[in-house]
Amino acid sequence: MTLTRRRFLTGAAALGAAAFGAAACTSPTTANPGRITLWYTSNGLSEQVLGEAVRRFAADKLTPSQVSGELKQRLLAALAGEAYLPDITMLGDDIATYFADTDHFVDLNTLGAAESKPEYLPWKWQAGASPDGFQLGFPVDVGPAALYYRHDLFAQAGLPSEPDDVAAAVPTWDDYFDFGVQAQKKLPGRYLITDTKTVFTYSLAQEPRKYFDRDNHYLDDQSQVRRAWDRAVKAFRLGLTAGYAGSQSQNGESIDRHAAWNSGKELSFVNASWISGELKQSAPATAGKWRVCRAPGGAGNQGGSFLAITKYCPDPHAAFEMVKWLQSPANQPQTYLELGLFPPSPSVYTDPRLLAPEPFFGGQVTMDVFSKTAREVQPVYFSPWDITISDTYTDALTTVESAGKDPEQAWNDARSSVERLLRRQGVLS
Amino acid sequence: MTAILPAPATAPARHAPVSRRKRWRYLPQYLAIAPFFLLFAVFGIYPVLYSLYLALQRWDGVGPMKFVGLENFRFLLSDATFWESIGNTLVIWVMSTVPMTVLALLIALGLNSSVRFKGVLRVAYFLPNVTSIVAMSLVFGSIFSSDFGILNWVLGLVGIDHVQWLTDPWAIRGAISIMIIWRWTGYNAIIFLAGLQALPPDVFEAARIDGAGPVQTFFRITLPLLRPVLLFSVVMSAISGMQIFTESQVLLGNRGGPDGAGLTMVLYFYNTAFADNDFGYGAAIAWGIFVVVVLFSILNWRLVQRPARGQVKETVR
Repeated sequence: MTLTRRRFLTGAAALGAAAFGAAACTSPTTANPGRITLWYTSNGLSEQVLGEAVRRFAADKLTPSQVSGELKQRLLAALAGEAYLPDITMLGDDIATYFADTDHFVDLNTLGAAESKPEYLPWKWQAGASPDGFQLGFPVDVGPAALYYRHDLFAQAGLPSEPDDVAAAVPTWDDYFDFGVQAQKKLPGRYLITDTKTVFTYSLAQEPRKYFDRDNHYLDDQSQVRRAWDRAVKAFRLGLTAGYAGSQSQNGESIDRHAAWNSGKELSFVNASWISGELKQSAPATAGKWRVCRAPGGAGNQGGSFLAITKYCPDPHAAFEMVKWLQSPANQPQTYLELGLFPPSPSVYTDPRLLAPEPFFGGQVTMDVFSKTAREVQPVYFSPWDITISDTYTDALTTVESAGKDPEQAWNDARSSVERLLRRQGVLS
Repeated sequence: MTAILPAPATAPARHAPVSRRKRWRYLPQYLAIAPFFLLFAVFGIYPVLYSLYLALQRWDGVGPMKFVGLENFRFLLSDATFWESIGNTLVIWVMSTVPMTVLALLIALGLNSSVRFKGVLRVAYFLPNVTSIVAMSLVFGSIFSSDFGILNWVLGLVGIDHVQWLTDPWAIRGAISIMIIWRWTGYNAIIFLAGLQALPPDVFEAARIDGAGPVQTFFRITLPLLRPVLLFSVVMSAISGMQIFTESQVLLGNRGGPDGAGLTMVLYFYNTAFADNDFGYGAAIAWGIFVVVVLFSILNWRLVQRPARGQVKETVR
């Protein structure tokens, strides 16, 4: 008995040591050595296109790997440990947070990306490049914003209800607010605006500048931010916002908002193209009653992803061929039809598949609205700190909306906490 | 180490007193306990030390680290958000622990008096505790939904106005507390029940003979005798209360909802490190949480050490 136990212990210890030793010896830089691994998020790339790509690039062993949960967390961990890295990875619209660390990636310009440039929206292409011209991201999709509204309810209230008429009635945010006040008189207890956060976000998305200039200098004159802020506060004061921001989960889903879509409580909202999937899924009973038109205040973009190649990729040229093929104008329509990811290539906007009337939007050709907006979006510099700063401002707005904080006080507090944050991060001295 | 091993006197002549041999004698035992220490070193000590190192750096998670000394800690001390998150955590802890303990005690008393299907009830009460918090938070998200939630619908039936569960700062804290109460009441009830059943029956018999009523018996006999179990539950809830995270995060997102009302210490740490990618400052917050937990534990311990009966009730309440 003693002997067997000892033998067992020794054996177990040896096994444990072997396991540790093995783990220490095999630490590949890329996730699948000898293959080209592509990390993408759920609903980030068309499965059909990926399937074709795997067959097409069988010689280079393309291995797509859908990352569950946050791709960014996994990528940061892999980059920090310089192990198990993907060869191609998807990056979100926070691509600017990687601009300071481009030494982990391949400059797509060195792989001949410039040839592809004319095929894509210039502002989107530019958004994937760091201020010093390092082309980090290859465009995947964009998120042109539009005004979504309930055609049937607008008509019922005797308001303009055809897309062109609505767009003509609300060219600016102020006109939209006036329109909202009017609509609320006729349709009491309903809302035209989701919350102050969306007013702020989409209003700022229409500005040519946000918080930083392209040299990463903090714009001390925040008049464009203040303008978006004042608009949000105005909408709140007029009683036009529904205040759904607080109940939104981190994915932006809101049970109240979904319910309001179904019940017709939310008459309209400004949002990016990608919300249409959620709208269709959450409010199937309202099919045919929605329309889209140009958003008040002009063209803006919210969201959109990129593909990047890490410098650990043994064959960046092959990887770039894959990226280029996956996101080629020929494959973008499929991605749009399958996932609603809006194509970044203007040439795709005339594809007959995308010009088909949409039953959910009452037979409207929504591509007409979105493509016009996508073309008009102004290039804007998105700094590595933009998301945190935006969150600080929208948090403050939500506090005004939900907790009754004085707007002026909230503005001053938000501004000083932004500056404090930037000082801590060494951006401001 | 040798001191706690069997005294050599029991087997004096079996081994030659060669220290070399003696040292290797216990190798199998050391090997047997080694996995824990190895794993603890890799996954316990190393991360702790590394987070201390990280707290002195500025790091976005990708690029090079920049040494900033105690800058992060200096910022932490003047960080209003951090202090608010401590306040939120304590408020939510109090708001959840007090009703939870009372409820659990009532349930335990009910289960202790002869009820049928005791086993089934015990399992039923334990069930919330083993349910995934994420699944639970999603369900509660629709329950608390202000316009279309079940809770507001029920309140409406009784004639109470809608509560903005997920936007009003105090209602948010209430909502999180309700989730914690739901999760832990059954768990504590089972523990209290075990405590109740371990109480000597002769004491109760003596009290009955002396003419004590049920209320008197409860406050004069049951509660004081149950004190160790009650204290255990309060200490356990303090430990878990300091770590409130998932409920807030799933219900309100990384930033804790309007006015940061649901921003707990751990959520603030998570948001800073993993959403804002400010790992250096995140590590500093983690150490701030550590200090708060230590202070809170000392406070708890002091309260637990008080022997007087009057104090017991105060701790419970």
